[in-house]
Amino acid sequence: MAVGCLGKGGGMVLLTALALMGGLTLAAPLVSRRLGRDAGYALSAGFAAVALVLSMVSPTVLAGGVVSASWEWIPSLGVAFTLRLDGLSALFCVLVLGVGALIMAYSARYLPEGGPHGFIYCLITAFGGSMLGLVLAGDLVLLYVFWELTTVVSFLLIGMSGGKGTRPAARALLVTASGGLALLGAVVLLVAVVGSSDLGVVLDSRREVLSSPLGPAIGALLIVAAFTKSGQVPFHFWLPGAMVAITPVSAYLHAATMVKAGIYLLMRFTTLFAGVPAWSLVLMGAGFLTAFLGAIWALQERDLKALLAYSTVSQLGLLTASIGVGTAVALAAAVLHTFAHALFKATLFMLVGVIDREAGNRDLHQLSGLARVMPVTAVLTGLAGLSLAGVIPLIGFVSKESLFQGFTGAQVVPGAGAVAGVLAVAVSALTFAYAMRIFYGVFAGPTLQPRLREPSWSFLAPAAVASVAGLILGPAVTVLNPLVRQASLDIEPWAVPPHFSFWHGFSIELFMSGATIAIGLALFLFRDRVDRVLRRPSPLEGGELFDQGYGRLLDAGSAVAGLTRRDSTAVFLARPVVGVVLLGAVGAVTYTGWGGARPPSEPADWIVLALVASAVAGLVAARSVLGMVMLSGAVGLLLTVWFLQAGAVDVALTLLLAEILTAVVAALVLWREPRTLPPERRRGALAGCGLAVLTGVTAAAGAAALTGRREISAAGEYFLRTAEPETGGHNVVNTVLVDFRGFDTLGEISVLAAVALGLASAKVGRPEDRGRLEPYDSPVLAPAYRILAPVIGVLSAYLFLRGHQEPGGGFIAALVAGLLVAFGVLIGRATTDRTVRPGVAWPPGWGLPISVAAGLAAVAAGRAFLAPLKASWTVPLLGPVELSSSLLFDFGVYLVVLGLMVTAVVRLGAGEGRVG
Amino acid sequence: MSAPVLVGVLVAGGVFLILRRGMVRVVFGFVLLTHAANVLLLASGGTDRRRPPLVGKADPALMADPLPQAFVLTAIVITFGTTVYLLSMIHVRRSEERAGGPSG
Repeated sequence: MAVGCLGKGGGMVLLTALALMGGLTLAAPLVSRRLGRDAGYALSAGFAAVALVLSMVSPTVLAGGVVSASWEWIPSLGVAFTLRLDGLSALFCVLVLGVGALIMAYSARYLPEGGPHGFIYCLITAFGGSMLGLVLAGDLVLLYVFWELTTVVSFLLIGMSGGKGTRPAARALLVTASGGLALLGAVVLLVAVVGSSDLGVVLDSRREVLSSPLGPAIGALLIVAAFTKSGQVPFHFWLPGAMVAITPVSAYLHAATMVKAGIYLLMRFTTLFAGVPAWSLVLMGAGFLTAFLGAIWALQERDLKALLAYSTVSQLGLLTASIGVGTAVALAAAVLHTFAHALFKATLFMLVGVIDREAGNRDLHQLSGLARVMPVTAVLTGLAGLSLAGVIPLIGFVSKESLFQGFTGAQVVPGAGAVAGVLAVAVSALTFAYAMRIFYGVFAGPTLQPRLREPSWSFLAPAAVASVAGLILGPAVTVLNPLVRQASLDIEPWAVPPHFSFWHGFSIELFMSGATIAIGLALFLFRDRVDRVLRRPSPLEGGELFDQGYGRLLDAGSAVAGLTRRDSTAVFLARPVVGVVLLGAVGAVTYTGWGGARPPSEPADWIVLALVASAVAGLVAARSVLGMVMLSGAVGLLLTVWFLQAGAVDVALTLLLAEILTAVVAALVLWREPRTLPPERRRGALAGCGLAVLTGVTAAAGAAALTGRREISAAGEYFLRTAEPETGGHNVVNTVLVDFRGFDTLGEISVLAAVALGLASAKVGRPEDRGRLEPYDSPVLAPAYRILAPVIGVLSAYLFLRGHQEPGGGFIAALVAGLLVAFGVLIGRATTDRTVRPGVAWPPGWGLPISVAAGLAAVAAGRAFLAPLKASWTVPLLGPVELSSSLLFDFGVYLVVLGLMVTAVVRLGAGEGRVG
Repeated sequence: MSAPVLVGVLVAGGVFLILRRGMVRVVFGFVLLTHAANVLLLASGGTDRRRPPLVGKADPALMADPLPQAFVLTAIVITFGTTVYLLSMIHVRRSEERAGGPSG
């Protein structure tokens, strides 16, 4: 294999191209906001620019070199971010960027004027980037990632077409994503066999793969992956369904590029499997079956887009079969036909979109005689249709002739060449017939819509470019020779690729072409008779079968879920509680450490315990809701005392504040509930009581067994010793939160942010319920609020700033500020309208980003994520001042906690009437 | 020995409440259970050293273990979050009943 690896210079070109696509994706919504649908032209220019960038390395590639570069990604797994460009990749790059540029220019006129198109443009560009990444990936893991990205973007683009797109989108996702899983399996097995995920290394390991017992499994998984993506029978049915997407998407993803990803995969790994009989037979068998059935289905269709989709299925089948033949001629033909098909099929889709837009219809039976009113469109469609039908002098003619040449050379089993040749002629004749039907059906016959006019030249231009290119590239096919030759060499480095020319002389292929046209014409002329034969419903309706199977799967899932689904929380919650008791019983039998000494308790502990016990007893027996709020608060306050006694000052402060706020929120919610709870049935209460006592005993025993330690933990000792020298903080608990275990805290505030988000987006009441609280004109509270607000604000700031040294910090300071908000809501000063605006302008929403930024600042400074950065300087009058990035992190914590308070109090407090 | 008994009392009360009918009792039951978890966490650091872990304010040999304290501190705030969330479910159900929608 001619491998001339360039250094980073060439590789940087690839990275730049990929980064540009990423940049275009991000820019697409912004450009679209400014330019409207004309953003398509800007993006088209962007695609062309990316192609230009890549063309800088084209001399190297065409000379047989491989441009590649690698960056560290997951070194522990040996996976690198490797980009790699050879001839085969280059051919697909041309398709992705070339067709992409045309489609973008086409979208600029296809999409309706006005209206938001930012998301569509963004997704199509994102698809282009993913597809480019897929063909440039030089590492199997990277290849897999981009493969899945194309699947996801395709799903989104199909699903965007509203309600009718839901089912097809789900089908497409399920089929192609399960193919993605097969690819992942193949990647894992390949790495296991070869010992590297680098594509270049893997492609050089043909002998290892073929001699490995895993070789057949790898081949099978690759085939499944490719078949799902490229719509081969029996996975073909998602492709016609995907036609609910807008026409630019159908043309770009589901005709020219994404469905070719499977073809790319097969071509790539033919390097490993070429000449293996099973590989050849499976590809040829499935390929011809798909090609034949697809062509039949296309003949049955009236909807032009569905017809073209089946035609794509059929043509992809021909490509698969040709790859399966595996000779140098067949592979080169497949490469050329991949290019030709992308060109004429994208053109046909674009023109069908034009016809659909102009005539308001794409049904073959309802369109008629458009040639008289839209002659240019008719000529362009005719050219692309002739290319599809493989008629001289278009590029489709050359590629079809070379396919014939490849098929007749098949040698996998004796006589394979003859069989493949006959099948290819049959498929091509059917193709010719439906190509004729498209043109004849739309443009011939009486003109039913005489008022129609030719669309604007700007709408037609992209299709015209592609259509005329197909005409020129037929006679000028030699222009493509260097690229096709190099792509073929990259697939089979040991073979000698053929040279394509426009005119082969009076070869066997020319007679096959003649037969194709003759049979195709016959099929077209006797179309009524053909229709009668075809009208019989096809027994193989893959989509229906798939839906049935999928429905059964969902039923099975809900049957399993039904085992645990109960309307009563008690029945549901009793199970884990019983589990705890059983676990405790097992522990009681196996635990042997009861003899050891227990930590001592002080008299005050027992007093607190007695008080808590009586409060809990009251809470359990209470029927008044208000009483429960008060008793629950009492338990909380008693525990505050307990925590204080245990030396946990910060914890006690936090609990005290949290209890007050919980009581406020509970009051806000529960004052609208019935004031007393219904009495319990005695039997249920008794059973619950028994289980509760058992669980309590279990928990007490477990706690006794688990809290026997007397010495301080190693971690605790470490924190006490190093807190001051490492972080400069004296409050060790706070340093644990923001310095030592900042990542932990980040996780916790993420949970809080999620709760706040849930509250903010929950459908709490209907808009009319959520009116303002009437201001509560208390002669005492309103002035008190005015006086206390600044005091509490200053207190909160003070507690926050001193948190690193003394009890305080982000959590506590935010809870204090939360008290202020709660107070404000209670007296009606803060309302939904003013306080909760979950948008960019809402400061608490910045909490998480600020905390993450504090962590990233450390990374930027070359330290670990969230490592504290310190700076100190001397301020006149105040003396030395030390600032740490952990203060910024704590500020993020502060904002998140405050955000939760505000959201909770305001969302739940907002109701009709006032809180009395 | 008081801490294990305290945990037992809180768990017993909490379990009794979450096995009752009606969301209000369930919410308060969960509050008691989280209290029990917090007490257990703090007690796991040992209850013989009881001075606050503030450097320079006490003999380090007498200071309480700061790690469980940090755990419990964040746990309390998260408990507040989940309690508020449970309360909001009561709120949502009430709104739905008033609107005549689903009452599940």
